[in-house]
Amino acid sequence: MSKTINIARYNPQTDSRPQLQAFQVESDNSTSVLDALLQVQQQDPSLGFRWSCRMAICGSCGVMVNGIPKLGCKTFLRDYPDELTVSALAHFNVEKDLIVDMQPFLTHLAAVKPYLINDDQSSQPHRQTPAQLAKYQQFANCINCGLCYSACPQFGLNPEFLGPAAITLAQRYNLDSRDAGKTARMPELNSKNGVWGCTFVGFCSEVCPKKVDPAAAVNQGKVASAGDFIISMFKP
Amino acid sequence: MNNTTQPKRSDEPVWWALFSAGGVCFAVVVPGAILALALLPAFGGISADNLSYPRISALLHDALWGLAGLAFIGSVICLPLFHAAHRIHHGLHDLKLGGGLLSKVLCYGSAAALSLLAIYLVS
Repeated sequence: MSKTINIARYNPQTDSRPQLQAFQVESDNSTSVLDALLQVQQQDPSLGFRWSCRMAICGSCGVMVNGIPKLGCKTFLRDYPDELTVSALAHFNVEKDLIVDMQPFLTHLAAVKPYLINDDQSSQPHRQTPAQLAKYQQFANCINCGLCYSACPQFGLNPEFLGPAAITLAQRYNLDSRDAGKTARMPELNSKNGVWGCTFVGFCSEVCPKKVDPAAAVNQGKVASAGDFIISMFKP
Repeated sequence: MNNTTQPKRSDEPVWWALFSAGGVCFAVVVPGAILALALLPAFGGISADNLSYPRISALLHDALWGLAGLAFIGSVICLPLFHAAHRIHHGLHDLKLGGGLLSKVLCYGSAAALSLLAIYLVS
């Protein structure tokens, strides 16, 4: 059957703001929003959008579908009525059509030192028990799609807020038994733009396509930061 | 973001701790107090004599050397006040009306002032 897809078109060189443009696409039970965008690109090759894997692992096809952050490849037209609206991810600057500038997101990710910090140079394998793995495993499933940043009203109000994915990543490494870098990460988390920028809206966890539950990670981070605060009072 | 300088530590853990404690009191102690002091006497679940002035006064001022009264006021009035102040402070930030030092002083200041008033009134 045929469905109407309204796409927010934007060319920064000629447009002052995004304008909706309607396209007709053929849809069956397995047509994803990404498939629909590829159909539209056949009609209008100037449509700009990012995609790669088509299987919810590369994290590049994030768009707003009817105002909700979604992965285009994991969202199906069958779940929408005859018409739907697709626009660029909220809270990011639009480069063209559905392509946003992800640089602020990447900068925040890098700020929390998201890698194992450990002076141990031994060549022996670092073994972990299933219990040690379970502490952080869920938080390691993030694919950096940025949907949680589009969902987060606090990131929308304050782009300096580290945001759900970065804090989750910090928490992922802080909880890893092989890591010794918590002291280096805590100052970022302790600041007003760290865990304390969150007001526990929880929409980040609702939109996360990998069920990472960043809101839980941020709140674990608040407990860790509060503990760090108390310890700091007893230090000279 | 500059990685060479460390950002300033936020004082939010203090307010968050009061907010959390107040939230627990709001959810557990306040409904219990409403049940015991308002609903049960009104619907005849307990005798109104249980709320007589000498009895309540003794509970507030004398039980556990006055600590019971202080704990009651703290958990039914003071901590919930700080919980509410925290919500209002962050709500103002969400509405782009504040969230800065002024709203912080006003919100937590009024919570502190009303808490002291409550403690003064029962002491």
